[in-house]
Amino acid sequence: MKINVMTDILEANDRIAAANRQVFDRHRNLVLNLMSSPGAGKTTLLEKTAEALQGRLRLGIVVGDIETTRDKERLDRHGLPVVQLTTGSACHLDANMVSSALPHIDLAGVDVLVIENVGNLVCPAEFKVGEDFKVMILSVTEGDEKPLKYPLMFRESSLLLINKVDLLNHTNFSLNEAKANARKINPDMEIIDISCVTGQGIPEWMAWLAGCYQKKFGTKSRA
Amino acid sequence: MAIARNIVDIALAAAGKANAGRIVRVNVLAGELRGVIPAQLMFCFGLMAENTIASGAHLNLEITPVVGRCRKCEQDFPIKDYSYVCPGCRGQDVDIIGGTELRVRDIEAE
Repeated sequence: MKINVMTDILEANDRIAAANRQVFDRHRNLVLNLMSSPGAGKTTLLEKTAEALQGRLRLGIVVGDIETTRDKERLDRHGLPVVQLTTGSACHLDANMVSSALPHIDLAGVDVLVIENVGNLVCPAEFKVGEDFKVMILSVTEGDEKPLKYPLMFRESSLLLINKVDLLNHTNFSLNEAKANARKINPDMEIIDISCVTGQGIPEWMAWLAGCYQKKFGTKSRA
Repeated sequence: MAIARNIVDIALAAAGKANAGRIVRVNVLAGELRGVIPAQLMFCFGLMAENTIASGAHLNLEITPVVGRCRKCEQDFPIKDYSYVCPGCRGQDVDIIGGTELRVRDIEAE
């Protein structure tokens, strides 16, 4: 016999993501799901972000890592609330994993919560975790054709940070080509060139964060 | 792997509700944009189905094409090579209306 089903395969995940989202909204958290390939600079960007946001918005971080706690140790030095999720063999964070981290973080003391996903350009794009926006990093050492190879992640992300632009002269990466490819996949995508070494683009990234916070809550900060 | 586990869970729940016996086939709609790799998903599905009534079931994947709809002229068109440009007006203001689904359509059971 044939049994009609028509159930969304990620429905269970999406339901938990929606519940997470309600918790975040209640605590007035702007939540970003930060994704990139391994080594693109997620943790370094968060270190820079922590410095730049000081005295403006309070940052909190949930960091996903397959095995080690090294990223958490780096972020701990900045005195931020950081919760580590060690995913074991899983190559992405899902809504349930993020939900399990929430009791370990003081959400009322956080304005911007960044969920640092596992380094991977494929699976993290499939699983909502309760975020307001997906943000991705592409570094210039990876290649400017990446948007075409991993279309779902580029399609789903609101902001693309092109990192390590200080190294542009040492690579054959074309900023124009990368941006054209990204816009081909997602014409609405905002793009900022950044360097965590020189600080280029960090003010624009701060402005983007502040703008999103204001759009969501109608104020520039909690105070 | 997580996707394969969800497919098995959904199939088992549906079979349970219908008081079905063995599941022989699971039909899944997978949008092209999801980037599902059929061989890999079928392998994981096989593993996840072991020791359940879906053990040995065939996972049939129907890959659905990416379809766009132009917001200006409301024309629907297939999207090839990730070119999100309306063939009518060359506009880039395009909604994706197909090719992102990922659902269990139906199951066949004994």
